[in-house]
Amino acid sequence: MVSGVGAVSGLGWGVDALWEGLRSGRTAIRPFHRFDHSRHRTHLAAEAGAAPQGTVSPEQRRLSMADRFAVFAAAEAVHQAGLTAPLDTLEAGVWLGSSTGGMFESEEFFHRFVTDRRHARLGDLASQQVNGPGDAVARHLGVTGPVQTISSACSSGALALGAALDAVRSGTVDVAVAGGSDSLCRLTYAGFNALRSVDEEPCLPFRAGRAGMSFGEGAAVLVLEPLERALARGVTPLAELAGAGSSCDAHHMTAPEPGGAGAAAALQAALRDARLPADAIDFVNAHATGTPLNDAAEWRALVRVFGERAGTLPIVLTKAILGHLLGSAGAIEAVVTVLCLLHRELHSAPSVVRPGDQEDLPANLVLDRTLAVPEAHAAVSTSLAFGGANAALVFSRWEPA
Amino acid sequence: MITGLGTVGAYGCGSDSLRRALAAPDLTVLLSDIDRTSGYHRPGGARRALLARDVSLAEWLAPKEARRMSPPSKLAVAAARMALACAGFADRRADREEMSVAISTAFGPSSYSEALLRQILFDGPEATSPFLFTESVANAPAAQIAILCRARGPSMTITQREAGALQAIGQGAADVASGRAPRSLAGAVDEMTPLLHALLDRFGALDTAEMARPFDRRRHGFVAAEGATVLLLETAASAAERSAHVLARVLAWGSAFDPTAPQAGWGTGHERLARSLRRGLERAGVDLRTIDLIVSGASGSRGGDRLEALMLRDVWGKEERPLPPILAPKRVLGEYGGGFLGAAVLAAAGGCMPPPAASFETDPELSIVPDIVPDLPSAAPPATVLVTSVAAGGAASWLLLGAPEAQEAQEAPETWGAP
Repeated sequence: MVSGVGAVSGLGWGVDALWEGLRSGRTAIRPFHRFDHSRHRTHLAAEAGAAPQGTVSPEQRRLSMADRFAVFAAAEAVHQAGLTAPLDTLEAGVWLGSSTGGMFESEEFFHRFVTDRRHARLGDLASQQVNGPGDAVARHLGVTGPVQTISSACSSGALALGAALDAVRSGTVDVAVAGGSDSLCRLTYAGFNALRSVDEEPCLPFRAGRAGMSFGEGAAVLVLEPLERALARGVTPLAELAGAGSSCDAHHMTAPEPGGAGAAAALQAALRDARLPADAIDFVNAHATGTPLNDAAEWRALVRVFGERAGTLPIVLTKAILGHLLGSAGAIEAVVTVLCLLHRELHSAPSVVRPGDQEDLPANLVLDRTLAVPEAHAAVSTSLAFGGANAALVFSRWEPA
Repeated sequence: MITGLGTVGAYGCGSDSLRRALAAPDLTVLLSDIDRTSGYHRPGGARRALLARDVSLAEWLAPKEARRMSPPSKLAVAAARMALACAGFADRRADREEMSVAISTAFGPSSYSEALLRQILFDGPEATSPFLFTESVANAPAAQIAILCRARGPSMTITQREAGALQAIGQGAADVASGRAPRSLAGAVDEMTPLLHALLDRFGALDTAEMARPFDRRRHGFVAAEGATVLLLETAASAAERSAHVLARVLAWGSAFDPTAPQAGWGTGHERLARSLRRGLERAGVDLRTIDLIVSGASGSRGGDRLEALMLRDVWGKEERPLPPILAPKRVLGEYGGGFLGAAVLAAAGGCMPPPAASFETDPELSIVPDIVPDLPSAAPPATVLVTSVAAGGAASWLLLGAPEAQEAQEAPETWGAP
């Protein structure tokens, strides 16, 4: 069961800011200030902005941005779950996805280290590894159980949630704190631009004229635990993480398998794990980056799994609002999926289209206005990554018996 | 079941090379000078490391394939192919459609990340190489293994510093045990670049005399290494069906965290780690009396070795039992690159025991003298081996390996590393 969620995104710090921003339908992708991007090919991102006053303790000031996002989101999720740190009296574990951890701060350090070594303080480098966010969360919450950082590019967050689900089901832990965190950095910004995978305008996933992704940053954390544990504390579960599945395209480092077979395998594995037929799924929170090849492959995967229903299933396009959070994308889209199930409402994406080589994919996209889904019971969220690492998560509404 | 072992490091390619390295009294002959021309290093400090740069991978990787890979990807793919060959899969691409891949790396493809940052920061972002970028991601080695071995099952890259290698084996074993994949390629890879070496040295992590002295009173750092070790895991039924030679059995795994650890160092929470380890062993139904041998991840680090030693002492002390013999293979294999993992499998598979250190001074606080093992005839390897590792930053992991059953081991190939 999901008993708590927390988030930091371009819409602000906290789940309330996330949901209110999503319901507004306005994109958070805009000019940003984290670093000088004047010589980069594109100039937009959904930047998280400053933390609310009083939420960053003096000792956390040494943490990287990705660490701070993760700690904030984890604290929010744990609070909502009715748990109190330290969690060392529980069997608690942390599974966190991140693709670059504290890379932004590493870049600052590396620049100083090469150009003016006297001002390059090693202490600034201490928290900047990929395992930084997961370790920071575990330290902040006083966790003494398993801590695992997963760095499988854009599927990291979803894979982390799948690993956490395994640990809860097997009884390895009573409570799993799981999600992802990544911050904007020059390396990924320049790298994806070098691949010509970034749209110069806010991205248009699945839409006509789509020309690439937009960057986002932030963290999302979910607390997973057995139903009985949550109920025993008087906590009402928000939803159930019913199943997880993953696969690899084994095709190419950056290009997806064009027929969508790999992504479909992950979706089918997640449905099997959830013991749900494809027909039970009421909407999809698609990976939908806005890159022509990825969106097309994902659409084919949806058709493979859902058949004709793929054209009528509502498709939620979270990256049109939040940008692509890379290693945290699967986690924040998991939180969004939970919120959609909880509120029985799907957030929309702007209905912008523009001329270009790409046509609209023939999907039922949620655009312009939120869509009420009073009968929605189950949903799937997909994540597709560099190196063909695919992951899918199935969530279902929790209804008291 | 572990039916394949592929390994590459400063010792060369294959488990025979690894065995020879483990039989040496120390790591001196394997050390290479690290390139200091970039000026990253402090005056004095460590100058050498266990590098795999000069090891030929030609038998395992065609030049056409290698040109599209970062150094860690090359090492990992070579080790994966060795593991498959060791397991009896002569055809490098057949019958692996749903195999999973779980690879750990402490630092990822550091050389490509550094080259990329130099381009972005000093030449301008427009100079960024798309190729360097695609191979700079942490999951590039796992992805390349999947592509070249056609492994279409789950793919996961774990970045949990020194605890990651054992976590990756646990992940691979879980994939197989749960039925998510019929087989798994699981292991660890890292490269050691001049920048990484210089930073580890500036953090005071490296032994400036390039002597790795795990648990020794005089220890003051580890020797940095690079390489890859990949294991092929499969179910007992699958191994039996193929009449595969079983190297060892994965009996249990687990991990824990010490929240007293600073961001880049080791903490003092040995009691908590011991409690977690004890609980994990109990849950797996393991009686401490059945553990014949410990393969420790102690590397010569002052704080790390102390934490690991006291954790083990707490676990056995709680039951007032003496610790079983402890191996510390990082004395000859260094830190990072997965050699430790290979050594653990060899210990479980056939009692491959390194000789004691030529010179050792007991640390009175730890009271552990590693690598002193009663003679074990090759026909009677240790039945159960506990493998432990504690990471900078707070994570710790453990793995319990069992020797193969007699009927599983009888088809042992003469040379494990050969195709």
